[in-house]
Amino acid sequence: MEPEEGTPLWQLQKLPAELGPQLLHKIIDGICGRAYPLHQDYHSVWDSTEWKNVLEDITKFFKAVVGKNLSDEEIFQQLNQLNSFHQQAIMKCLKSRKDEIKQALLEEIVDISSAQLQDFDWQLKLALSSDKIATLQMPLLNLHLDIKENGEVKPYSVEMSKEELQNLINSLEAANKVVLQLK
Amino acid sequence: MEEVDRILIHSLRHVGTAVPPGVQTLQAFTPELVVKAVVCCLRVINPAVGSGLSPLLPLAMSERLHLAVSLAQACTDLGYPLELGYQSFLYPGEPDLRDLLLFLAEHLPSDTSDDADRPAGDSSLLLRAIGGQMRDQLALPWVPPLLRTPQLQHLQGSVSQKPFHTIRLVMPELSSRGEPREFQASPLLLPAPTQVPQPAGRVASLLECHAIQLCQHTGRDRPGDEDCVQQAPRHPTQEDTRARWQWLQRHLAEHLRQTWGRPAAPSQAGDLRELLQAWGAGTRTGASKGSRFTHSEKFTFHLEPEVQAAQGSDVPVTSQRPEQDTKAAQEQELESLWEQLEGVNRNIEEVEANMKTLEISLIQVEAERGQTELSTAENKQALRLKSWAVELLPGGAANLSKLQLMVESSAQRVFHLAGQWEKHRVPLLAEYRLLRKLRDCRELESSRRLAEIQELHQSVRAAAEEARRKEEVYKQLGSELETLPTGVSWQGYTHRILEVVDNIRKQKEGITKILSDTKELQKEISCLSSKLDRTFAVTDELIFKDAKKDDAVRKAYKYLAAFHENCSQLLQTIEDTGTIMWEVGDLEQQIETEMGKKTLSNLEKIREDYRALCQENADLLEQVLEA
Repeated sequence: MEPEEGTPLWQLQKLPAELGPQLLHKIIDGICGRAYPLHQDYHSVWDSTEWKNVLEDITKFFKAVVGKNLSDEEIFQQLNQLNSFHQQAIMKCLKSRKDEIKQALLEEIVDISSAQLQDFDWQLKLALSSDKIATLQMPLLNLHLDIKENGEVKPYSVEMSKEELQNLINSLEAANKVVLQLK
Repeated sequence: MEEVDRILIHSLRHVGTAVPPGVQTLQAFTPELVVKAVVCCLRVINPAVGSGLSPLLPLAMSERLHLAVSLAQACTDLGYPLELGYQSFLYPGEPDLRDLLLFLAEHLPSDTSDDADRPAGDSSLLLRAIGGQMRDQLALPWVPPLLRTPQLQHLQGSVSQKPFHTIRLVMPELSSRGEPREFQASPLLLPAPTQVPQPAGRVASLLECHAIQLCQHTGRDRPGDEDCVQQAPRHPTQEDTRARWQWLQRHLAEHLRQTWGRPAAPSQAGDLRELLQAWGAGTRTGASKGSRFTHSEKFTFHLEPEVQAAQGSDVPVTSQRPEQDTKAAQEQELESLWEQLEGVNRNIEEVEANMKTLEISLIQVEAERGQTELSTAENKQALRLKSWAVELLPGGAANLSKLQLMVESSAQRVFHLAGQWEKHRVPLLAEYRLLRKLRDCRELESSRRLAEIQELHQSVRAAAEEARRKEEVYKQLGSELETLPTGVSWQGYTHRILEVVDNIRKQKEGITKILSDTKELQKEISCLSSKLDRTFAVTDELIFKDAKKDDAVRKAYKYLAAFHENCSQLLQTIEDTGTIMWEVGDLEQQIETEMGKKTLSNLEKIREDYRALCQENADLLEQVLEA
């Protein structure tokens, strides 16, 4: 029986059962910030527009299920169009990787502000001397921040002395305190 | 020989060979140990050669043979005088091995005498390599940011070339249950390196993952304080932060003590610290050029990370621009500039020629002016004289007599002045003479003193020279003293060497005593034999005279002759026995030395290896045939 168009995931029916778990896990990898599966691996199953739909549908489905924290019965209700192989594969996938998807969703929610910190790196340096002072022995910290602004990642680099670093840490701690009080 | 072996093994351990504690003599050396020892020595003597050789004996026979041949080649290249082949390493005989190791130990560089105290393990090799690398990099001159090659940018730039981007990795966890565990055990979970799409981020992601694990681990180690590493800590009070801070400090101190507290560690890090100290000293004096260079380097680098970042982004943009356009534009600009330059050059030449002609005319005009000035001065003089004469012309006679009167009075005044001058002159002259005499005296004195002073100077210089020479000798001796091995372990060996020397002297005395005894005995023997000969001749003559007359005497003569012959035969036999005994001893010694070479076992080993080689060859042949 051919499932009707429009219901979610109906196109998954085309996929051979043994390829199911692999594809699903790859898509979850993509949700978690790693590489999405490539079309060239599945071009015998779907053409490119179908592939886009499939990817979108499955991603949306996973996000919705984890985000709404649906129970098993409710998930099965959504999947009743599929055959049992695929149903089981999806349930297994969901159970084993629920935590990861939740983490990824939380990160997405955090990203709603105008600028977010994506990554940071630091280097500690010891300036031995300057052009005026022969023996300086001054520790310096290079802080590299990757800030995401309007969808593009910009690198920022700050050099700080010990006092400046202490100031930064103090202000960050104060900010943390405020955040905790807001909760 | 045991002492020699012990010293050899001691020095081999210094070089970094892990000789097992049970091995006390060279006889116990296995081929593996021999190869390891020789490679370690070669690495210290000539790192370029030694680094290409493996200290581990491979399993396959052909590779073993190859390694042994290259080792033999390396030793011969170092100047090993005796014959050396692969057999010396694979089937070592004790005396040959001792010769080889002694040769290598003698060739160990002497300036590592202080290095010899530290074990040359892998970590110290690494530290030494790091130190060397840093020294090389410090020796490079500072280059302005725009002129740097990528390599230099990597060394001298302060912005890291590869940004630190991480991606969360999924690892199998021991604590997982149910479906997650099933997933983590299945091949669906990719290996950690392939989870990161960009190769540049792999190391960063792995490091991050490891840091998180470490953090969780230490948090778990600390009972009751797990919340301090959890993602959302509870509201931190002041005491809480301080306690955490103290805990962290304590842990850090402990960790440092564990890794650096070992006695060997400081000396291992010696190279690095030495380098850092040297560097620090250089900057403190501030006199050397290099340090000033590095100052400016540091200064510029710390001031302009942004600038460098900008440059880093600029370079690729310009390179992306269509190359032909830029090239054509540059050529055009170059040509126009060349033209301008030529025009300016021409102008300069013209102006220079003008200037030359003007200068020449100026000189001419100046000369003319000088001549005219001279002539005007002459004319003025003449004019003044003539005007005077014209003024005096009206009252001629009166003026003439006045003039005569003036002339006479002035003559009288001159005379008077001359008398006065004479009066003054005489005492002054006397005084002048006296002073001159005094000055002469003083000059004499001063020249004498000068000579004395010069003499003194010379002696001072000689003394200084001597002092310098002695200082040099002192320094040389001091450095020699420093280079002399001072380890405590060597003192025992020197004591033993002295004992051995004493023993040798005693033995030498015994040998000379025995030799003199032998000589005396030989003398006595020759004396006795000559006496015997003479006695026999006399007896023979005496009895031979009477033998013609008496039968009994004739018989006695016969007996005498027989007796003499037998005795001489007996003597001959005894001598022969002596020589044979000596030969036997000699042969026994030879047998012992041959036995020492372990020929039989080596032959056995060679036969086994030969069989293994044959087997390998057969296998290879089979493979070839199959292919």
